[in-house]
Amino acid sequence: MNLTLIGLLTPLLGFLGLMFSSKFIERKWAGRIASGTVLVSFVCFFTLWLNGTTGSFTYFDWIPLEQFKVGFTLNIDSLSLLMTLIITGVGYLIHVFSIGYMNHDEDFARYFACLNFFIFSMLTLVLAGNLVLLFVGWEGVGLASYLLIGFWYHRPAAAKAATKAFVVNRIGDLGLIIGILLTYKLFGTGDFNEINSQAKEMFAVGAPVITLLTFCYFIGAMGKSAQVPLHVWLPDAMEGPTPVSALIHAATMVTAGVYLIVRLSPVFQLAPITSYTIAIIGMITALGAAFAALSQTELKKVLAYSTTSQLGLMFLACGVGSYFCAMFHLMTHAFIKALLFLSAGNVIHMMNGATSMEKMGGLASKLPKTNKLFILGVLALSGIPPFAAFVSKDLLLDEVAHNGYHILYFCGMAVSFLTAFYLGRAYFLTFTGKSRLDEKISKVIHEAPSVMLVPIAVLGVFTVIGGFFGWFGGAHAPLQTFLGQTFDTHGIAFKWGHLTMRSILIAIAGFGLSWFVYKVKARDVDGVTLLRRAFFVDQIYDILIVKPLTFLSKIISFVLEPVFFEGTIRVLSGVVGGIGNLLQRAQSGQIRSYAAWMVIGATLLLGFLIF
Amino acid sequence: MSLFLAFLLILSASGILIAKRPVYAALSFLGTLMLLAVHYLLLSAEFIAVMQILVYAGAILVLFIFVMMLFQDAYAEIHKAVAQSSKVLICFAASAFVVGVGFVLTRVSQIPTHFSAPLTEGFGQARALGKALYIDFFFPFEAVLLLFLVGIVGAVYIGKRTPEK
Amino acid sequence: MSLSLLIILSFALFTIGLIGVLTKRNVLVFFLSIEMILNSANLLFIAFAREWGNMTGHVWVFFVLVLAAVEAAVGFAIVIHIFRSKRIVDIDQINLLKG
Repeated sequence: MNLTLIGLLTPLLGFLGLMFSSKFIERKWAGRIASGTVLVSFVCFFTLWLNGTTGSFTYFDWIPLEQFKVGFTLNIDSLSLLMTLIITGVGYLIHVFSIGYMNHDEDFARYFACLNFFIFSMLTLVLAGNLVLLFVGWEGVGLASYLLIGFWYHRPAAAKAATKAFVVNRIGDLGLIIGILLTYKLFGTGDFNEINSQAKEMFAVGAPVITLLTFCYFIGAMGKSAQVPLHVWLPDAMEGPTPVSALIHAATMVTAGVYLIVRLSPVFQLAPITSYTIAIIGMITALGAAFAALSQTELKKVLAYSTTSQLGLMFLACGVGSYFCAMFHLMTHAFIKALLFLSAGNVIHMMNGATSMEKMGGLASKLPKTNKLFILGVLALSGIPPFAAFVSKDLLLDEVAHNGYHILYFCGMAVSFLTAFYLGRAYFLTFTGKSRLDEKISKVIHEAPSVMLVPIAVLGVFTVIGGFFGWFGGAHAPLQTFLGQTFDTHGIAFKWGHLTMRSILIAIAGFGLSWFVYKVKARDVDGVTLLRRAFFVDQIYDILIVKPLTFLSKIISFVLEPVFFEGTIRVLSGVVGGIGNLLQRAQSGQIRSYAAWMVIGATLLLGFLIF
Repeated sequence: MSLFLAFLLILSASGILIAKRPVYAALSFLGTLMLLAVHYLLLSAEFIAVMQILVYAGAILVLFIFVMMLFQDAYAEIHKAVAQSSKVLICFAASAFVVGVGFVLTRVSQIPTHFSAPLTEGFGQARALGKALYIDFFFPFEAVLLLFLVGIVGAVYIGKRTPEK
Repeated sequence: MSLSLLIILSFALFTIGLIGVLTKRNVLVFFLSIEMILNSANLLFIAFAREWGNMTGHVWVFFVLVLAAVEAAVGFAIVIHIFRSKRIVDIDQINLLKG
């Protein structure tokens, strides 16, 4: 119980300490303190996991209103523990990596402060025992994301991307707020345990109000987890430092939407229409992002679209009611995507911040270790056995087929194929073939220091063994048993079959095709404009939303404001000024005039007294 | 008799308006003061009548004439400058007031016209006024004295020649 | 001698003083007119004191006398000051308060 609080608050302490000492703290100590707090936090939660502690603890009444009672409640169960372990574990590794990655940056302390703040907010989000506290964390991670995307705020692109992420997230957050208020209206409480236990008794399956409620949650999840049509912020979020992309925009924050749905899964189970919509949206996202990833020219953007695509798969799993698969894939994806991003970070760091694959190529000999780690990540996410994502994705698609969604299953297969292909493309374009480096860089480029390589290597280990948690033991695999304490994982087991063989073959086919095209044929970096611009969604939004808004603002700014508002004020001030000018003439300085006025006043008073 | 006195009073008062030179105005004001003193005597206000002559005619009016002497013929230059105050406004104010006062005066005839109240012993004499001032109106009396003091100090301060720089 | 006659007399003096204030540009005659207005009030006080046999009216006349003396003293101080610096006795030219 106290360990939970320590685990939650240490990153906050780190954040506050770094904020106040940012002016004079030494470079190496900022990194050490920040990573240290996250490590302490990780150890706390690890101990909690070892002890098998569960339960929800209310520390104090936060909002003690009769109708709207909110306690500062932290909820420890297998779901939140899994999330905290991922957050603090991967978070710690990325903190360590950041020490190497950010070693030339001026604002070292600010960076680590924001990163610590993110860890704190994310922990609040997943540990929160009720919706309101969850919302605090939800907004906190949004803020941290905004601050870190715009970390290099002097770059216009970064500032713009940060604003975009913030604004798009607001739409989702609005949905979530409405959902929270509706929850209080319906259940009279925001406590997850109470909601989940009451939902089934209070409402029938398919009750309209539950559909509405879950839709509101889903809109919130959509914004945070970058699902179509609110996905546009995630690719742009790559303007931030690469470790941030790895931690926030791949491994942890973007999975908050999945976490929310899994957390409230008993409610979602009552709303088949919403679930079906989630599955469809997830599939559209997965497929669309996979296509968009095919033609990206920037290494990080490939990974960003890949993240969106994988999140789509998790939503698909949630939609078909297989919450365990969503969490499993979330976990393996967190490891692999962090691995991929950090390896990409090595490349980008050594390239002095260049992210375009047009300037890379043939890096395998210059960065041999990074090369090996990156290919490991590529293979793992493509679904090549025995790596992590193979197990989780295969289980996921298996479940989709199992539940009778055959069209979605085939779409999932297509995503699988595309994933293998675009990851292969990214790998071959970056690490093999002819070098397209600038001469200056090509001379000085060398392997990353061990402070950056070791965290990636640790992630690599988990990439290899991560899948085994849900594999060995079949229906009694460790992860199944563990998560089974919180929600139903019954009947889900990984087993070999013709579906498995098919997905392996498809993954190999995708990877092989990319090998053929980009290695053997050595095609250059190119792509279809439609795909590179991600189906022109940004442009469509620009025309449909931004342009009309700008137009309206212009009307208000140039017509309504000067003519109507300012005009009214001008007329009013003119009237007052005119009256003032008239009255000023009475102030003539002539004593006799004043006396005359006084006499007139006295006469009027006389008349008033008489009549 | 009283009508004749009243006629004389108005005549001498109008002298202020008619007089061409300020000294004549001052002299006609002196006449007004004397006639007023006569009225006061007739109304059994003996002490006030004496005060009227001593203070007004003896002190204030002498001050007036002294200042006039100081200014010499400066008044003759007045009409070289154009009047700044609005004549229309002044005429309107004066006529409005005259009309208003005239209306009020039409009702004055309804007031009982004889002094019927029996007078106390020593009414209007210095003893009675002294008693009233020092017993009934002690605080206002002191306040007026303070005002007087402040007035004198102020007058001295304002009138003082500013030292040449 | 009747009360109504005295009231009319007092109003007449007041009106004369008022017209003097409004029409005279010489600052000294201006002051004289003000004194006239004060005296019209005095006359009324004395008349009503006699009517009601009450000394209070006399007290107020005494106060007005003091006031007149103070006013004359301060007023002349100001007038002399202005005359000394600007050589004017025309109150239409004294318009420092013009807005």
